[in-house]
Amino acid sequence: MSEVLLEVKNLCKSFEGVVAVEDVTFDLLRAETLGIVGESGSGKTTVARCILRAIDPDTGTVQFNSSNGWVYLTNLPHRELVPLRREMQMVFQDPFASLNPRMTVREIIEEPLIIHGERSRSRRLDQVMDILDRVQLERDSLTRYPHAFSGGQRQRIGIARALVLRPSFIVCDESVSALDVSVQAQIINLLEDLQRELGLTYLFVAHDLSVVQHICDRVLVMNRGRVVESGTVTDVFERPQENYTKLLLSAIPSTDPDVPLQPLDREQLGI
Amino acid sequence: MNDVSIDTGLATATPRQLAWQRFKRHRLALASGIFLLLIYTLAFVCEFIVPYKTDTRNVQAINAPPMSVRFFDMEGNFHLRPFVYGYDMKVNDDTWMREYTDNPDKLYPLRFFTRGESYRFWGFFEFDHHLFVAGQGGYVHLFGTDQLGRDLFSRVFYGARVSLSIGVVGVVMTLVLGVLFGGLAGYLGGLMDRAVQRMIEVLQSLPTLPLWMALSASLPVEWSSIRVYFGVTIILSLFGWTTLARQVRGRFLALREEEFVVAARLIGAGKLRVIFRHMLPSFASHIITTATLAVPGMILGETALSFLGIGLRPPVVSWGVLMQQAQNYQVIVMTPWLLLPGLFVVLTVMAFNLMGDGLRDAADPYSTGGQS
Repeated sequence: MSEVLLEVKNLCKSFEGVVAVEDVTFDLLRAETLGIVGESGSGKTTVARCILRAIDPDTGTVQFNSSNGWVYLTNLPHRELVPLRREMQMVFQDPFASLNPRMTVREIIEEPLIIHGERSRSRRLDQVMDILDRVQLERDSLTRYPHAFSGGQRQRIGIARALVLRPSFIVCDESVSALDVSVQAQIINLLEDLQRELGLTYLFVAHDLSVVQHICDRVLVMNRGRVVESGTVTDVFERPQENYTKLLLSAIPSTDPDVPLQPLDREQLGI
Repeated sequence: MNDVSIDTGLATATPRQLAWQRFKRHRLALASGIFLLLIYTLAFVCEFIVPYKTDTRNVQAINAPPMSVRFFDMEGNFHLRPFVYGYDMKVNDDTWMREYTDNPDKLYPLRFFTRGESYRFWGFFEFDHHLFVAGQGGYVHLFGTDQLGRDLFSRVFYGARVSLSIGVVGVVMTLVLGVLFGGLAGYLGGLMDRAVQRMIEVLQSLPTLPLWMALSASLPVEWSSIRVYFGVTIILSLFGWTTLARQVRGRFLALREEEFVVAARLIGAGKLRVIFRHMLPSFASHIITTATLAVPGMILGETALSFLGIGLRPPVVSWGVLMQQAQNYQVIVMTPWLLLPGLFVVLTVMAFNLMGDGLRDAADPYSTGGQS
């Protein structure tokens, strides 16, 4: 078993009295892909954002095994988090809203390098070009604005921005949910290729179980802010223990068009 | 997309270029913009444009009507050089009013770019060339004269300098106050937000005109005209920033949660970088539009105050000060040309409003530029 990269303990977050995340605890191993699944409002995105401190959690701790040893992400002031951003990044859900419409692709991908102190223009450009190749975007995209790209291409730009600092840990917050199915497959394959090449660790938040089944090694099932089940993908998908997991699994459409979708009934399961 | 060339052109067009294309389609706004550019340029170099200074009196022409520039004299002969006729003055025995008629013997040709009255350009250096002056020792009053025989054309353009600049200076101060308070409220939120909100509500519930009047009346009488000028500007902008501050606050609140702003924070961008690189550019166009629409309010405010005699005071010349002369019924009947400064106020305010509308449409990426 490889070493632990991230340790989340008893994470809680509520918004104006509404509990979004309650007592979430899990570990993340280096170079694995951990999926968090659950229906809308189950708190999976909140967990992801609390880990990267896009929002501040109420209680609980997040420890990150950075290149300088273990750090507590949860109680660092934002200023001291900045150097750690090199090692952990996020790929967003909406490829339209997550790119600044007033910046060219070059400016978008270059910005992390500028912030993290790469002063040489030519070295910056080299890195931008390199990452552009890795996410399979044309080199002449650099001078264009995000509005000139399709959803899938934009998501590649978002991935390039996240990877240009060479992080070890990527949070994918519903990163393929907004794309149509054929593009989803391309982006998932891209993410898997990048993981192999760069040794990335993914925290993959999704509501689409078939995507999770395909890409993840382990999976957490969340319902109403709590983790209800966790385990390897094979265990959870083939031998689900909890009724809620069974309910989710029953909602996956079959690839065979003749098999009708028969989701289980919430009330029968007592959820 | 079947047309690849158009597609690539749009792909690399900056948002500003796209907005300019939409603005150009708005004919009326474009014309207003050109008009404003012209009148601001004229006001900027008004010493050169006009033939006289603000206090030069022509005792041969008191309350004289506007002259017309002619190419044909009374015998029907064509003159290549435009000219004006001097006045013949006769006091009407019944009304005791001065009545002016054109005198065909006093034919004053207009000479361009020649010496006339010397002036100090912006108070910096002596110069005596004018765009046009009347030759042969004559005089030219395109807009007529007032009751002291001062050339109204000259006074209107000197007044334009004061009135137009008060609009811009006032709006700049409004912008500073509005963006500062709106930005603080929107970005910091919490207690700051509530404090600013309440302050705005109080300010907006005050009746402006009486308050302007009270504040202007409190400007010391012995102040120099330049201090009064800034005093009036500050008074106008003290009440003008609230609308803008609200808009800025709203935009900040909305943008703070935008994914690309969160993304910027997550790559480690500092507060200033997030605000100036990511948030401000995406609503700068709205600020510009609001500012443009606020300029006429400032100009009207100055005009109103000066008209009431509590803003700028003579010898400063502004459109409001000029309109003060046209306060009574006698003027409107006997010397209606003294209302001309009012026409300039109307034209300028309208141009600003039309241009502001055009800018607003251009700034909105979903607008069709005035055409559906």
